[in-house]
Amino acid sequence: MISPVKIWRNQKKIQKLLGLEAKIVSFTRVHVPPVGFISQAPYVIIVAEFNSGRRYTAQLVDWEEHHLKIGQKVISVLRKTRDPSEEGVIPYGVKFRPIG
Amino acid sequence: MAEKFKNKVFILGASTTKFGELWSRSPRDLAKECVFQALEESGLELSDVEAIYVGNMLSGSLGGQDHLGAFFAEELGISVPAMKIEGACASGGLAMHAGFTAITSGLYKNVLVVGVEKMTDYKPEEVAKALMGAGADSEREAGATFPSLYAMIARSHMEKYGTTEKDMAEVAVKNHYHASLNSHAQFPHPITLEQVLKSSTVSSPLKLLDCSPITDGAAAVVLSQESGVRSQESVNIIASAVATDTLGLAERKDLTTLKSAVDAAKKAYQMAKVAAQDIDVAEVHDCFTIAEIIAMEDLGFFPKGKAASAIREGKTRLGGRPVVNTSGGLKACGHPVGATGVKQIVEIYRQLRGIAGKKQVKGAKLGLTHNVGGSGATAVIHILKSL
Repeated sequence: MISPVKIWRNQKKIQKLLGLEAKIVSFTRVHVPPVGFISQAPYVIIVAEFNSGRRYTAQLVDWEEHHLKIGQKVISVLRKTRDPSEEGVIPYGVKFRPIG
Repeated sequence: MAEKFKNKVFILGASTTKFGELWSRSPRDLAKECVFQALEESGLELSDVEAIYVGNMLSGSLGGQDHLGAFFAEELGISVPAMKIEGACASGGLAMHAGFTAITSGLYKNVLVVGVEKMTDYKPEEVAKALMGAGADSEREAGATFPSLYAMIARSHMEKYGTTEKDMAEVAVKNHYHASLNSHAQFPHPITLEQVLKSSTVSSPLKLLDCSPITDGAAAVVLSQESGVRSQESVNIIASAVATDTLGLAERKDLTTLKSAVDAAKKAYQMAKVAAQDIDVAEVHDCFTIAEIIAMEDLGFFPKGKAASAIREGKTRLGGRPVVNTSGGLKACGHPVGATGVKQIVEIYRQLRGIAGKKQVKGAKLGLTHNVGGSGATAVIHILKSL
């Protein structure tokens, strides 16, 4: 079960990570997903580096093939992450989308 | 550092089960089989065992059993101190480290180290999720899997050093060749470069045959302060070193090396007073083919960026030096995660005693094991020597 308390606690961290520009450090396209992500596969995961130098691992959304390269500029956005549990808590978190 | 130890650490007996999809076998069966084989070889009785260290990762998240020390003590019929040691895929190596410290401290005279994992009872997506228990929160939230984390490590290594998918495939071909000489391996048969390159993508650029499998299996080692039955052909553990790093990839500046492995190797070489060039045979953590290329560089066997060409030239295959992953490695022998670090010790022990069969490295005197947890958050290095 996805704990609503954990989601509530982590939301404060997520807010600070949104709307920030970053660059792709590395990427992969996942064809064999874990439980909670099966409906999304295949999907792209990247390690991105913000302008501050901090790095973050998240999915890339709204991408086309030419965006899948090291150095591609991206921006952090709020998106639904895992498939929700039966209790109906819908988890949101950080993803990236390409810019430029 | 070594002279500070109160006692030497002798391996008196060691054994593994067959690795594979063992649907008819329970964790109890697997552990019991290799423990009794190791004990018989050691010349000790069960009543001589003073403590049990169990290496395991997934018994709680998959099997619902979170009390493994007492679980296996009960199964063996002894009521000695017993505990589970966890550190993701380095759980087995950490259990060996715990056994090593127990003997060197003088607390116990004889201890048993058991690594065990039961993985194939569950659906692959459940196993993938459970394994991600070893990752960082943000990685789990992204839907990352271990293949995907190592895929991003591979992509960085390719970008920086020109490593190719074919270079990575060479690791799988070599390790399957070694596994073809090991009847206990999950995949005891050779494969071709073309088969690796044509296998389906798991997480680009890693393909199915770049990845170690989901495996059931167990391994056991009997450690002692005294040489016992091994007085004429003793094998000692002369170094046991552990280092840790960040759980997640994003917190690291360089994705082309595992800093924990570099740090643990440095400590182990200092403890054993040997250099990388002295190692005859090694079992390394090739959970993915890129991991073996990076391990060769992190351990100092080859300079950074030069390991792929050395592997291609056969330098780490039987007949070369140092020979790497004679068991077939995680890739082809199989990877029951908590058992792997113990199995690596079993293989090197047999190599140093000269009883490794068709995969024997002639004249091997000094061996090393390299066991990694997560995407490099834990690394455990052991160095073994035959006297």
